[in-house]
Amino acid sequence: MDRDAPAVGEGTNIDDEAPRIEPTIETEAATKTDDAELERTLGLVGGLAIGIGTMIGAGIFVFPGLAAGRAGPAAAGSFAIGAVIALFVALPASELATAMPKSGGGYYFISRGLGTFAGTVVGLSLWLGLVFATAFYLVGFGYYAVDTLAELGIAVGNGLVIPLALLFGAGFTVLNVTGTENAAKLQNGIVALLLSILVCFLGFGGLDALGLVGEPAAPERFAPFGAFPVLTTSALVFTSYLGFAQIATVAGEMRDPGRNLPLSMVGSVLIVGTLYVVTIFVATSAFGSERLAELGETAMVEVGRHYLGSIGALAIVFGGLLATISSANASILSTSRAVYAVSRDALLPRRASRINLRYGTPHVALGLAGGPILVLVATGQVELLAEVASFLHLVMYGLICVALVSLRRDEPEWYDPAFRTPGYPVVPAVGAVASFGLIGFMQPASQITGVAVMAVTAGWYFYYARDVTLRGAL
Amino acid sequence: MTRVLVPLTVLEGESVSPGLVRLLEPVDVTVLGYHVLPEQTPPDQARLQYGERATDALADLATAFEDDGREADYRLAFTHDRDQTIDRVAAETESRAYVITGAAGSVDRLFVALTGDVAVDRILEFVVELVGDREIGVTLFLATDAEADGRLALEEAVETLSRRGIDAASTLVVSEGPLDAVSGAPFDALREAAAEHDAIVVGEHAPSLQSFLLGEKPERIAAESVGPVLVVRPPARDASSASLSDSS
Repeated sequence: MDRDAPAVGEGTNIDDEAPRIEPTIETEAATKTDDAELERTLGLVGGLAIGIGTMIGAGIFVFPGLAAGRAGPAAAGSFAIGAVIALFVALPASELATAMPKSGGGYYFISRGLGTFAGTVVGLSLWLGLVFATAFYLVGFGYYAVDTLAELGIAVGNGLVIPLALLFGAGFTVLNVTGTENAAKLQNGIVALLLSILVCFLGFGGLDALGLVGEPAAPERFAPFGAFPVLTTSALVFTSYLGFAQIATVAGEMRDPGRNLPLSMVGSVLIVGTLYVVTIFVATSAFGSERLAELGETAMVEVGRHYLGSIGALAIVFGGLLATISSANASILSTSRAVYAVSRDALLPRRASRINLRYGTPHVALGLAGGPILVLVATGQVELLAEVASFLHLVMYGLICVALVSLRRDEPEWYDPAFRTPGYPVVPAVGAVASFGLIGFMQPASQITGVAVMAVTAGWYFYYARDVTLRGAL
Repeated sequence: MTRVLVPLTVLEGESVSPGLVRLLEPVDVTVLGYHVLPEQTPPDQARLQYGERATDALADLATAFEDDGREADYRLAFTHDRDQTIDRVAAETESRAYVITGAAGSVDRLFVALTGDVAVDRILEFVVELVGDREIGVTLFLATDAEADGRLALEEAVETLSRRGIDAASTLVVSEGPLDAVSGAPFDALREAAAEHDAIVVGEHAPSLQSFLLGEKPERIAAESVGPVLVVRPPARDASSASLSDSS
């Protein structure tokens, strides 16, 4: 063997564990290590389903009411700004993912491009960011579950939102530990069903809103509160775009990663971005934004009722249940992959990535996700959960762009991406500035929570893993 | 030399019977140890935990094939999709067939179903290689809705085998229509006849709606009979698909 353990990727953590880094050969269908082959089984459709399935729950089914209340009809602009920022990050992330098609996504790129400290902070923040995001999706699910009961004639009131969210959060965690067979196929089916519900609904609503069918809607000023709320709303709803980075966490399992990773990341952002903007347009055309704000998390149900009567309301309630379930489930899965990626590199104790003998599932990592998720769900703070999730992801997105620039300026020998970001260096520069900039428009409470979480992860690095070196260690 | 792939769920203790080892004596063997993971588990994570144990078990299994100085190599794969892994490794090793293991004593008579999407010539060529100069008889089976053509094809096949010194008999089942051949009475006849034999050779089927609903045919036959089933693969589609899979 001419490829002995590289000089980088050394050092041990406080438990005396070293990063497990071995030479591998990547083919389009499998990763080959010295003793085993790891099949790449996920195709383009699977990648898109993870991206869209994670994103669609929040943007369409939870945020329209909240966003319209803040920014008026210009909330559509807030979603568009979010989509553009997500695109400016998705392109550099795609390049890095094709150069390093491994589990771990953003964490992997940053630890290899910028070093262990940035890597640890991002890796642990990604885990916690996903925990916040999942909690947010689950609370959204709780609202839809209560509304579903209401549609069925069982009025229980919003007091049951959190208990229901907790119940299902615990349920999903157990389900994932005991091994749901064909979870990915189910996810594909849910996403396909959701997209068809939405395209029908938005098609009809869009025609109506443009005044082609039905009665013309009451005109409203586009941005009644001015430009600033449009930006703060962007910061709030950015949680709707976190899913594309979750595709990178399964990069190690994607077939033909050079093609499928960029296509699924950019494609899923374009698809959901378009759906979001149209949804907000349709929603704000149905009701004034004040009315939407009153309706809150499940405003879309009333929008459905407005256009298509009780069938519309039922379709949206059903869609909302599916979408928030799919978002929550997809993020719980990504969380366990994030934990695995950092524990493989000795930044967390190795036992965090143990696999359950009976079910073959990573029960410790799933537990590390499920526990904190339930604690956060119990707070019930929809906007705070969403913004902290966005905060932690945005830091990672900004650093992904920085890592790209850093790697490109002094390209190491191993750096050979199949996809190169168009418009370099403008695209990653804009991506980084926009990602960090958007954080500035969040509520102070979210900013403080986000900074505190990152401080804790930095503290963990200095306590646990300061001797580990990862930069350039593939 | 003809190569046969032997996929085994190595961590679940699947192993090969002595009869199967003897049956495969004339051909090269690649043992593929695989482990199917739920989608929650990255394959690499499973490898870190189980890789060593699986490699040890696999090395032991491979030595079972290594008598008379014959080489048997082995590969280990962690996957979410068994069929995709078998397909890929079979293509990479240029295996002519893969095995669904089963218990087998000594094999006196092979059951060869001339159905599936693999040309009859290719199946017969494989049977000739497999039988070699051993005293193993062959029962050919064909289900078709075109009786005259079927009879002719079977006669030709019996003659091909007889010319190579193989004792061959044949069974023809006439079905009502093309669909009937894979699910109705003819398939029942196939399963019954197959169950009376020690080992079975069939051609691989392209995935279809039916295999999606009822399961792959070779697996269904394997479930009914205790003996091993050898599934003959169609030739590689074209050169471009082969080169696509091993560019790194």
